[in-house]
Amino acid sequence: MAALWSRKREAAADEALIRSLYEEHGRALLAYATRLTGDRAAAEDVVQETLVRAWRHPDSLVNGKGSVRGWLLTVARNIVTDRYRAKASRPQEVAESPATPPVQRDHAESVVDSVVVLEALDQLSSDHRDVLVEIYFRGRSVTEAAQALGVPPGTVKSRSHYALRALRETFSGQHVALKGVAG
Amino acid sequence: MTAQHEPQHLLGAYVLGALDEQEARAVEEYLATSPEARAEVAELREMEDFLGELPPEAMLDGPPEGGDLLLQRTLRQVRQERGGQVRRRQFAAGAAAAVITAAVLGSGVAVGRSTAPSPVAQPPATSQPAPPPGTKIGTTTDPSTGTRMTVQVRPAAGWVRVNASVAGVPAGQKCKLVVVSRDGSREEAGSWLVSAVGEADGTNLDGSALIDPADVVAVEVENFDGTRFASVQV
Repeated sequence: MAALWSRKREAAADEALIRSLYEEHGRALLAYATRLTGDRAAAEDVVQETLVRAWRHPDSLVNGKGSVRGWLLTVARNIVTDRYRAKASRPQEVAESPATPPVQRDHAESVVDSVVVLEALDQLSSDHRDVLVEIYFRGRSVTEAAQALGVPPGTVKSRSHYALRALRETFSGQHVALKGVAG
Repeated sequence: MTAQHEPQHLLGAYVLGALDEQEARAVEEYLATSPEARAEVAELREMEDFLGELPPEAMLDGPPEGGDLLLQRTLRQVRQERGGQVRRRQFAAGAAAAVITAAVLGSGVAVGRSTAPSPVAQPPATSQPAPPPGTKIGTTTDPSTGTRMTVQVRPAAGWVRVNASVAGVPAGQKCKLVVVSRDGSREEAGSWLVSAVGEADGTNLDGSALIDPADVVAVEVENFDGTRFASVQV
């Protein structure tokens, strides 16, 4: 029966959507939520809720990888903030303790910024992005980054320069292709 | 030295702190002689600041380690929600198929089922526990100082718990949260130093005061010199 067949297909599509989000963004989401909540079990709940919300709002997932991830991180952060607020307003709960680091409560602005940054990074060439990830986000030295990326140290240095320049071009709204300059 | 190793190509790595000491010194000497290079470094630093907006985890890829149960739970929840309701999204995709089915079966049942307005009964995303009875909430924007303040006063046994969000007090101010009683007496519920973030985005404070819940009339923010920034009637 067509309706039944269609429902089965919908179910398969649901599963594929959840799996692909999980495979691509699960690690970032869980690590982020774990840091915000300080608790792996709580963080897993947050990630589950985040993925379910993404499934409920598939129209928010139509753009590039960067903005999808930005959206997911934003949702995760909002969930943590809401739950944290709920907890804080319960009378028997003590306020903030070192075990449960406080969440910045009015976070709308910084989350918007991280979406913008992710989108900008998305527009860089992979050579440029990789070098920023190694050096800036993983805190690697030029030598370590060169080994990880399989390029000479001199290339890592010049690429990190052009990567920051390309980022700047992206922000100034002139999408100048600096890809050819990547040394 | 190849062209790539000339100082002007090292400015990015310099800004990111990835150069060794000797190279960094060479860049600094170069910067001392070149205003253009200094301007470029300033621009690149802006980009570094911008990258700092991202949580470091944002750049991790792949599935989480040991997350199989998490994935299974998520899939189960989605299956249950899908099974429990006819969704709008499904309607968009499945409407044509449903109409054809109805025509074939000569029955309105399939259409009726598939096109009925979907009860979008999504469970509340987060559960906000109900505040205890007698909880009072107030909010204000002080017209003269521009301070925005929202407070919640929850009764305890003969005293009150206070939660306040305060934004717009200038950074650097030493502030007190004060609970005011009907008879004019004042109890401090906490104090803090306003940060730049606190000025812009607000500071959230929890405190308590020994004033009978029935007698609380206002919660105020003032500095240590007694200047009042905002007063919320509750």
